[in-house]
Amino acid sequence: MFFKSTYNELIKIAAKPRSYLGLAAITLIVGLILMAMKLDGGMYISLLTGPFEQSLTFEGNLLNGNLVGFIILQMLIIHVPLLIAFVTGDLISGEAAMGTIRMLLTKPISRTKILLSKYLAGCIYTLFVLLWLAFMALIVGKWLFGAGDLMVLKSDGLVVLQQNDVAWRFLYGFVIAFLSMVMIATLSLTLSCFSENSIGPIVSTMGVIILFTIVGTIEVPLFDSIRPYLFTTHMAAWRFMFDEPLQLKDLWFSIFVLLAHILILLAVALYKFNKKDILS
Amino acid sequence: MIKNKKSIYLLILKKVSPVFFILLGLNAHSQSPSANQLIHRVYTQLQKAKDYKVDANIKVDLPFIRMLPINAKIYVKQPNKFKVESKRIAIVPRQGFDQLNKILSDTNRFTAIAQAKELVGKVTTQVISLIPLQDTSDLILAKLWIDIKQNLVLKSLLTTKSNGTILTEYSYGTNANFGLPDIMIFTVDIKKFKIPKTIAADINTNSKKQDDKDGKNKKGKIIITLSNYLINKGIRDAVFVK
Repeated sequence: MFFKSTYNELIKIAAKPRSYLGLAAITLIVGLILMAMKLDGGMYISLLTGPFEQSLTFEGNLLNGNLVGFIILQMLIIHVPLLIAFVTGDLISGEAAMGTIRMLLTKPISRTKILLSKYLAGCIYTLFVLLWLAFMALIVGKWLFGAGDLMVLKSDGLVVLQQNDVAWRFLYGFVIAFLSMVMIATLSLTLSCFSENSIGPIVSTMGVIILFTIVGTIEVPLFDSIRPYLFTTHMAAWRFMFDEPLQLKDLWFSIFVLLAHILILLAVALYKFNKKDILS
Repeated sequence: MIKNKKSIYLLILKKVSPVFFILLGLNAHSQSPSANQLIHRVYTQLQKAKDYKVDANIKVDLPFIRMLPINAKIYVKQPNKFKVESKRIAIVPRQGFDQLNKILSDTNRFTAIAQAKELVGKVTTQVISLIPLQDTSDLILAKLWIDIKQNLVLKSLLTTKSNGTILTEYSYGTNANFGLPDIMIFTVDIKKFKIPKTIAADINTNSKKQDDKDGKNKKGKIIITLSNYLINKGIRDAVFVK
């Protein structure tokens, strides 16, 4: 019954035009970035190598599919949460707004299972969005620019990773990015349980992300103690996979913080949904 | 009698001593070549290799850059063609392989001044400074440590307007007769590297870690080990087209 309910939720997601908005946006934006890189990628390379150019020369295929894929992920991973919240923020509140939630809850399945099946469907959608992003960034990027070593720009220097050392990093990087996006899906689903319309949870999710990002980015001592526990601080934890040597301690802490947020928010969502008075 | 002997000695001393000192000076001159002669000898030796191809192992030990050693092929052709061919990303000093050749090629552009003799390892070298004669020259100062016996540059310190200062140490092996080294160790100055976290999208980097670094330039090394030289086999110009 649980998996049938999940299947139904997936069909509902697939039937909504807004579910394709994210995929279309990713296709368009990645297409534009690829075109810009093809035409003027040298500018970005100058940004990477510029501080060293007085003393050093960089040789080899710097602008390659791995670098382009990395740049795209770096740019889009900030915007993908919005695309995911469009769908997952609507999972409960959308039903409430349309008045179908009452009928949904008459099914012979517990509220917990209904919520979890919606959550699982949301996670599957999130995975699909990320896989599409990975396809566009890496597969199309490599097809257009070829393979090569990956030069990662960090705020304190450059890390050059060898071509044969990159694939597994991308794989694990995507797994961690998926965890970050599941965190967003969980947040928007939780907010969705508190709302009777679709827009509220989507806007609230983005509002929380923006607020926490600002708090996490401003270097004020007041925020030092809370910064490590904000989920936005760990949204880019996938980048740890592109460090040499790997900062495993930091990576595991990020995973722990994200998982803790997911579990707490999911518990809140389950509590709220089970107690929810259906009035629509 | 004694007076006569003294006057004879004095006479001999007066007549012979200038000749003796001239001979002594000539002898000394023939043993220690002038700065220009030494530079000419070094340049002539370097000119023996009209072109060469060599396998290189490049190990980068620079601040702000983390990468593993890589293998590459280096092509050099006189007077000024140079290319590093690598499937991987290779980082090499901007003024490296052919810079010395370029500087030494025109002796009218600099004044060579011999300085003290110094030991480089166990080899006694003549230190020679090259000072450009024109204000417009890119070279500010070059200092060379030259092994007089083998006419080899064992160490060079080049300061140019465009590329800053670079110290190069050379170790020679079987191709010393061409003036081609087996190992080159470049010591370069790297400007402090720091870009905004927002540009690097590196928001989870601990800012305290970065603050530990001072604002000064840092020194780093690039060690290039060269092997399998193919000298004067002819290299097509097309190889150097990027």
